[in-house]
Amino acid sequence: MSDATVTLSPTENVINAPATEVDGHDPSMLISMRDIWKTYQMGTEKVHALHGVSFDIPRGEYIAIIGPSGSGKSTLMNLIGCLDTPTQGQYWLNGKNVSEMDDDELARIRNQEVGFVFQTFNLLARATALHNVELPLIYGGVSASQRHEMAKQALTAVDLTDRMSHKPNELSGGQRQRVAIARALVNHPSILLADEPTGALDSHTSAEIMDLFERLHSEGNTIIVVTHEHDIAERAHRVISIRDGMIEKDERIR
Amino acid sequence: MRFEDVKESALMAFDTLRTNKLRSALTILGVSVGVVTVIFMVSIIQGLNKAFADQIESLGSNTIFVSKFEPSFGRPPGPEEIHRKDLTMEDAEALRTEAPSIAGVSPIQRLLSATMRYQDKQTDTPILFGVTPYYEFVHSQYVGSGRFISEIDMQDRSNVVIIGVDVKQALFPHEDAVDKEVRIEGSPFRVIGVMEPLGNFFGQSRDNSIFIPITTYEKYYPDRPFPESVFFVIVRPVSRAYVKSAMDEIADILRRRRRVPAGAPNNFGISSQDSLLDVYNQLTGATALVLTSISFVALMIGGIGVMNIMLVSVTERTKEIGVRKAVGATRLNILSQFLIEAVVLTAIGGLAGLAVGEIASLLMNRYSPLPAYVPLWAIGLGVGISAAVGIIFGLWPAWKAARLNPIDALRWE
Repeated sequence: MSDATVTLSPTENVINAPATEVDGHDPSMLISMRDIWKTYQMGTEKVHALHGVSFDIPRGEYIAIIGPSGSGKSTLMNLIGCLDTPTQGQYWLNGKNVSEMDDDELARIRNQEVGFVFQTFNLLARATALHNVELPLIYGGVSASQRHEMAKQALTAVDLTDRMSHKPNELSGGQRQRVAIARALVNHPSILLADEPTGALDSHTSAEIMDLFERLHSEGNTIIVVTHEHDIAERAHRVISIRDGMIEKDERIR
Repeated sequence: MRFEDVKESALMAFDTLRTNKLRSALTILGVSVGVVTVIFMVSIIQGLNKAFADQIESLGSNTIFVSKFEPSFGRPPGPEEIHRKDLTMEDAEALRTEAPSIAGVSPIQRLLSATMRYQDKQTDTPILFGVTPYYEFVHSQYVGSGRFISEIDMQDRSNVVIIGVDVKQALFPHEDAVDKEVRIEGSPFRVIGVMEPLGNFFGQSRDNSIFIPITTYEKYYPDRPFPESVFFVIVRPVSRAYVKSAMDEIADILRRRRRVPAGAPNNFGISSQDSLLDVYNQLTGATALVLTSISFVALMIGGIGVMNIMLVSVTERTKEIGVRKAVGATRLNILSQFLIEAVVLTAIGGLAGLAVGEIASLLMNRYSPLPAYVPLWAIGLGVGISAAVGIIFGLWPAWKAARLNPIDALRWE
């Protein structure tokens, strides 16, 4: 999936749109956000969670979105993950304009393009690790035999070959998060979107998970980590800082 | 919807049932009660219908019933009817000779019960019929051993009697009854035959009868009042196609003989098996309506139980719904998952209900006089209704689940 894309190596702030715009976005970018607004109606008052955010993310990047609570980073994550649509602005994901899609189209995009990793793992408690990993494939319409094969591969990739038939309550926190990562990766999505992935883990296990992210990145996956912890953000290659619904800083750190 | 989706949904449903055994069992019980009610009600109605149709059929091929009373089904006659002039043997004879659509006429005198004695044994319950030799042909009921009443018995007013198998059992359990001397209401009679068995009608034996020549009956019981003694005429038309014309001819002949003025209503009653069936169907129609309403209410209650539990289930699993949506479940996926869960619940309830209903109707057949019968289509009906209840009462909770916003659902604790 990466052979068609020429990855630019941005050495500076990418808020300013590159010169190769087509239809208002750069088709070489995996993610293109243009002047994104998200407004909530709270009673009679309008609250702007995002004030005209624009950025691009090329394929294969490892990026952290950081900001204090209330900064709008969760709203941004929901938009990137296609769980929500912007009030205003354009969002291209892998060449598709997802900013005006309906619920079911978004569900399809989430299934094909996005792999979620949550702070609290969000595994199905009564299903085995294997079945949890198969879940996106079920909704993706993959046949049972192919599904088994793909789920096994994904679990092997996160070193859980011997835990496939265990249920979440029989697994440690780190193992659960690895099941969740396998679930996120099983469909070969365009982006791996992690929301505070180490928030519920001890420091040793956190380090393990962050090492895993690093490995996945080196294998060519695009990874976006949303966090409020600076040491987690510093593992990424690029950090976007959000404050008061706007991008405060967008810097390449390695 | 693909098979894979259905399978995933069904697995999820069984999972939920396993995890919440008591809750699911109670919900299933609610649906079962509804389905049992439906099956049981249907089986009663069907049983009654079938028994009645069978009996009507066995009474003879399309006979017509003529008496001075209006046709009724269990309703006692009013005073006007009781004071009407009796039908007579001459009327019966006129029907036989004058009506071309009639194949046979059987005038009958009936005494509600008679005492019959043989040596030291006695029975007080048999119905005593005074009949003619035409009885066998008109009713399609034949003597099994010995002989039936002859013209000579009629002329001689002989003291001869043919007995039903119940009476034979009561008085002659271990010996041949033919040619034995018995006493009926104290008078001496000779048994000349035993009727073929007829079986039961609504749990009442039809074999507890004795038959004597109608002339002999008039000799011994001329003044017994109604309703102890009653006279009526059974007519057998040439064939089923002649029932209507035979009834018209009977009406014409009787109106003339009883001098009913033109335009006045008949002062006698004519009914065929079909008209009996009509009356019966009216009665059971009303009964069926009541029973159907009861079933409907029972199903409603079961369905509300399902809806209640599905709403709880949706709320409990809000987070799970969020996860499923996050990994790509569409609204249709979620809707069908919860719908199938509801249908699985009600289908199990339906099957359990079917089993219980079937057993209940079997027990009812064995231990109560009311017949019960579960037709094959009622089984389909039970399963269909329970699935429909699942869909109808599961739809709203499932739609609620499908509509959930994934962000809110994921945030749910």
